Amino acid sequence: MKTLLKMILLMLWSAASIAAPDAQSIVQRADRARGGALPGIVWEIQLNSREGDRVAEPQRLEVRAVNDASVAEVLEPARSKGSKLLQVERNMWLTRPGLSKPIPISPRQRMSGQASNGDIAATNYALDYEAKLTGEENLDGEQCYVLDLTARHKRTTYDHIRYWVSVPREVAVKAEFYSLSGKLLKTARFEYGNTIQYEGRRIPFVSKMTIKDALMDAETTMAFGAVKVEMIPPSEFDLGQVQ
Amino acid sequence: MKDTSTNLLHDLIAALRGTRNLAYPFDMSRLLRSVRLVLKPLATVFRGALKCLFPLAAVSAFPAAYADSASHGSWDGVAYAYLGNTAPCMDSVLNPGNQIARLVEHSQTAEARFNLKAEHDQLRLALRPIVLWQQDRNTLGRQTRHEAYLSQGEAQWRMTEAWNLAAGRELLTWGPGQFRSPANPFFFDNGRSNPLRELSGLDVVKLSWTPDTRRTLSVARIASTGHFAGNVDTWRDTWLLKADRRGDAWAGGLALAKKGGQGMFVGAHLQYTLNDALLLYGELGSSTRLDALQSPPDPAQPFSIAPESGRRANELLGVTYTFMNGQSLAGEYLHHGHGFTTGERGAYFTRTASAVLPAGAATLGMALGTAPPLLGRDYLHVVWQNNPLENEGYWRLMWTHNLGDGGDELSGYGEYTLSGRTSAFALAVLPRGGVRQEFSALFSRMVTLGLKVALP
Repeated sequence: MKTLLKMILLMLWSAASIAAPDAQSIVQRADRARGGALPGIVWEIQLNSREGDRVAEPQRLEVRAVNDASVAEVLEPARSKGSKLLQVERNMWLTRPGLSKPIPISPRQRMSGQASNGDIAATNYALDYEAKLTGEENLDGEQCYVLDLTARHKRTTYDHIRYWVSVPREVAVKAEFYSLSGKLLKTARFEYGNTIQYEGRRIPFVSKMTIKDALMDAETTMAFGAVKVEMIPPSEFDLGQVQ
Repeated sequence: MKDTSTNLLHDLIAALRGTRNLAYPFDMSRLLRSVRLVLKPLATVFRGALKCLFPLAAVSAFPAAYADSASHGSWDGVAYAYLGNTAPCMDSVLNPGNQIARLVEHSQTAEARFNLKAEHDQLRLALRPIVLWQQDRNTLGRQTRHEAYLSQGEAQWRMTEAWNLAAGRELLTWGPGQFRSPANPFFFDNGRSNPLRELSGLDVVKLSWTPDTRRTLSVARIASTGHFAGNVDTWRDTWLLKADRRGDAWAGGLALAKKGGQGMFVGAHLQYTLNDALLLYGELGSSTRLDALQSPPDPAQPFSIAPESGRRANELLGVTYTFMNGQSLAGEYLHHGHGFTTGERGAYFTRTASAVLPAGAATLGMALGTAPPLLGRDYLHVVWQNNPLENEGYWRLMWTHNLGDGGDELSGYGEYTLSGRTSAFALAVLPRGGVRQEFSALFSRMVTLGLKVALP
């Protein structure tokens, strides 16, 4: 009798294990729709931001990114054209035509509005964060996994993220970004109007990210376009060879 | 001796045409050489213009951007117009009555800087031609100069994913230091001598190996100092070996430069991102100087010029803190081993003060033309600036303190956005101290106001 009970319990546990989705895999699949886990990706971002009633001048960037590095080049406005923000791991530099030499900057330095470098570059949350599935929620009529992401190392832009990933589409639809002290810094919503071709599969790809500041009345919208998956040589991320 | 003095004076004059303090010989020669164009026959100017004819023709012939399946190309540029005003110290002991350096008191400048880029398969071409017109005026006269030159221009061939070969005029700058760059043999002054004048590259052939985003090894042969090379081509036939490494939160590099007949330059730089807001960095360099002015502490002894100075080290330590609003505060300490000791500096000014014109012109020329890049040994430099990525404008305030003579220099640069293409800018430099203190030895005020317009 005892043996039978043990067997039933074991079968139930196994079934539960199979059914429960792996949090890290969910994040990894969601990353692909935001540029992560790809050999290299190039995209354009149209950045619009507002702080209170004040609307900032729109910015257009071209971003080239691999897992641990990115370079964002300003295309518009015309007076900033050619400025580049280079990031390799947690190291960041700013350079522009005519500047005597690149300026090292800290990760806290942001692009226009609420967009940090972590927002404009490829997302690799599966590598950078430890994911824990906390449950499921219905968000705007869509069933979503709710995950808690905790930074694995200091290189991350945020210490803690609460992440909603669509169950049927396997893409992130919402994120809340928290500071080390647990304070909510900003909230982001994602849309997926783009598609990329990778390893013979068509993958939905992020087309819009809307970031709302939690501490003040400010909003930044990033529209992603001209998305291409391509190998980017490492020299593109070498400060001495950035043209 | 007379020729040497004349050359020194010419160099000096050109060096000080800008807004700089006591000049670093290399930079001095670069700046001076730029001015030398004015004194040369018009043919020189036309020759310079011809050098730019091709890229400028390309600018006018090409649309702002083109792309087909295998090729991409684009061009853009910035047009500048600015007015400069400098107040020379008439009681200067280095430049009495502005007779030696002949600093420009009023200047009007119009300048266009272009960027041309073309890419085809594994080949890339990037050119940065500059066309400049400037009218200078001081109590001694007026002169107009024209320049057209290639500030930077390089062809890159990506031989494999990891190997790149580049040839052309390249700005070989590196390291995180803002005040000065001890890790760099070519551009120690970081362009600080004349902030509105763009640094121009060296003529090089460079082979680079970049196996991943974390490592780069480059070897380069410098063929010429570039546009500003003069009669003495400072960096001609120099070998450079550069290794760079980027870690999780740090980046560093080592540079070795060797020119025949001169001791090897050894430089290193490192930066460490301590956390989201704090950046720590440092640079160091060990080198000798050619034609180095010697100022014995005993003022009774004359100046002399050593063909090559002893080996000295320059070190810079810095820290930058970025606030939540994007503004940042940076502090740097520089120890400049090539500078004078207190006794040598005192004797330097005593000797120049006793040089009476016209007989003393050679002494003053030597004192200015071959002095170390900075007169002192220890400096503090503080920079407070807003987010350089900010769209609405940019400002930067700087304070530099010479720990040896107690002199200061305050400077500020501001840029205000007028439209998507246009911005207004202003630069002011205010030295504080006496005529025997480094920063205030030559001028008491410098102001520049201008406009810049993005092209096309």
